Amino acid sequence: MEPRQAAHTLEVIRTLMERTCQYQLLTARAGLAAGCLTLAGAASFLLLDASNPLSFGVVWTVVFAGSLCATCLGTVARGRERGERIWSRQARAIILALAPSVVAGFVLTVFFFAVGGGMHLYLPSVWMLCYGQGALATSAYAPAPIRYLGMALLLFGGVTIGLTFALGESWAVPLMAVGFGLGHVALGIDLLLKERQERSVKVFREVA
Amino acid sequence: MNDFKRLVEELDPLLHERGRLAIVSALAAASQLTFTELRDTLEMTDGNLSVHLQKLEDKGYVTIAKRFVGRRPQTSCQLTRAGRQAFVLYLDHLEALVHQARGQARA
Repeated sequence: MEPRQAAHTLEVIRTLMERTCQYQLLTARAGLAAGCLTLAGAASFLLLDASNPLSFGVVWTVVFAGSLCATCLGTVARGRERGERIWSRQARAIILALAPSVVAGFVLTVFFFAVGGGMHLYLPSVWMLCYGQGALATSAYAPAPIRYLGMALLLFGGVTIGLTFALGESWAVPLMAVGFGLGHVALGIDLLLKERQERSVKVFREVA
Repeated sequence: MNDFKRLVEELDPLLHERGRLAIVSALAAASQLTFTELRDTLEMTDGNLSVHLQKLEDKGYVTIAKRFVGRRPQTSCQLTRAGRQAFVLYLDHLEALVHQARGQARA
């Protein structure tokens, strides 16, 4: 065996191991869409009143629903592109890992809206904390950038809840734009670069 | 015999076959995989995968368990301790080959 072949085999083994345990259907387009939608949602509060629970709820519902749609469409497209099943063992593991954070986020959202008195403005920090925790919980099955996004969102969630409490509710939406919006844009760019690299290499197919 | 040739000859011949190496690599990453998951991940045919799994089982590198999930039979495969050790040793040999070549290139 030539050294070059040994290095190539090691690279292939690594790719195979990643392919076996990691969820590979995250798409750059979904990340970018979620980021841009969040930035647009945050920008809409230049015109809308964030302290109004109705407009706040409608804007973020549109943002989350849009992000979810983009993720679903992106996953289906990537699954077809790679010839992989969408409902795979890795997908089930990701959903199971995410479920507690999603349920906690939903329950807290309902609670904060029900309490009233402007408490809904604490929700961006709650969402970032829940999402960050969920992203970290999936990091065993997801690509490394998800772990960094999770850590960043936990940090931003903590900062946001502190600033919202200490300095006022006006901090919540801009920090959501930075943490959730720019965080997803960064994730999207990273995934985009990896997708391009993957297209040019396609190491796995040479082996299996 | 030079070190390079010795390292090549020490490579486990059972794992040196690319199909079996792919199977062991996949099983090393996941605690347990079903036959279908392995087949889909590695894009192998049923027959090819069966033959390789049988050889790995004969050598004691994998365990194959069959059970029923509802009314459907399910075959699941797992790497044994011996299989994991052989895989790690194989990786060590490959890394040693690469390091040695790198050292020679620098000299």
